[in-house]
Amino acid sequence: MGFFKKLFSKPQDCLCAPVAGRAIPVSQVPDPTFAEELLGKGIAVEPAEGKVFAPCDATVDMMFETGHAVSLVADFGAEVLIHVGLETVSLKGKHFTIHAKNGDKVKKGDLLIEFDLDAIKAEGFNTVTPMLVCNSSDYSTFNTFVDKDVTNSDVVIELAK
Amino acid sequence: MKEFNHVIADPMGLHARPAGQMVKACAAFASKVTITAPTGTADAKRLMAVMRLAAKQGMELTFKVEGPDEEKAAAELQAFLAANL
Repeated sequence: MGFFKKLFSKPQDCLCAPVAGRAIPVSQVPDPTFAEELLGKGIAVEPAEGKVFAPCDATVDMMFETGHAVSLVADFGAEVLIHVGLETVSLKGKHFTIHAKNGDKVKKGDLLIEFDLDAIKAEGFNTVTPMLVCNSSDYSTFNTFVDKDVTNSDVVIELAK
Repeated sequence: MKEFNHVIADPMGLHARPAGQMVKACAAFASKVTITAPTGTADAKRLMAVMRLAAKQGMELTFKVEGPDEEKAAAELQAFLAANL
């Protein structure tokens, strides 16, 4: 029966990388808020370019008006937070351009935020971008795929209830 | 039921880090904690709901704590808010 259950069970839900770059374990982010998974389990990407894409089909729940973070509710139910860089709230929107607003239905790959990677680095900020599932405790399976270069086509989190 | 108000003092408002810390603190209470802001109402144990309030510096939030440990929870939460937000 296990075989059939496996064969016919719903495929696992997944999240693709929100930004192109190097995917790393969230535990390596030098900020305890993220590293200790205070806000939920996840991964992080060291961005190679300044574009944040939707990691899955979702609804924009909260686009921070500063553009440094966005939360989404995936069509499959995961509550996803993408946070561009560390302490970047203090830039108050400088170097960020918002491309989606609260309530927007987005498809995987839709552009959500653009940011000036070099300018943010030049101001001394770490641009590592954590992506967390705020309701990760609702999922019994939570697999991450890190320590590799990724684009928005690559799955970085696989989850199942 | 315990109820109190808190005005956000953090110049950055209730952004991801303090919101996460507050949600974690509230999750440890048996009591239900509800936040009412001019922008809406949120279950203080749900990060996404709390962030959706988009609470800014100077905004007054009302906290309602209801449950078996409401005395202790309200006191701890007030101390947390005074120290962090």
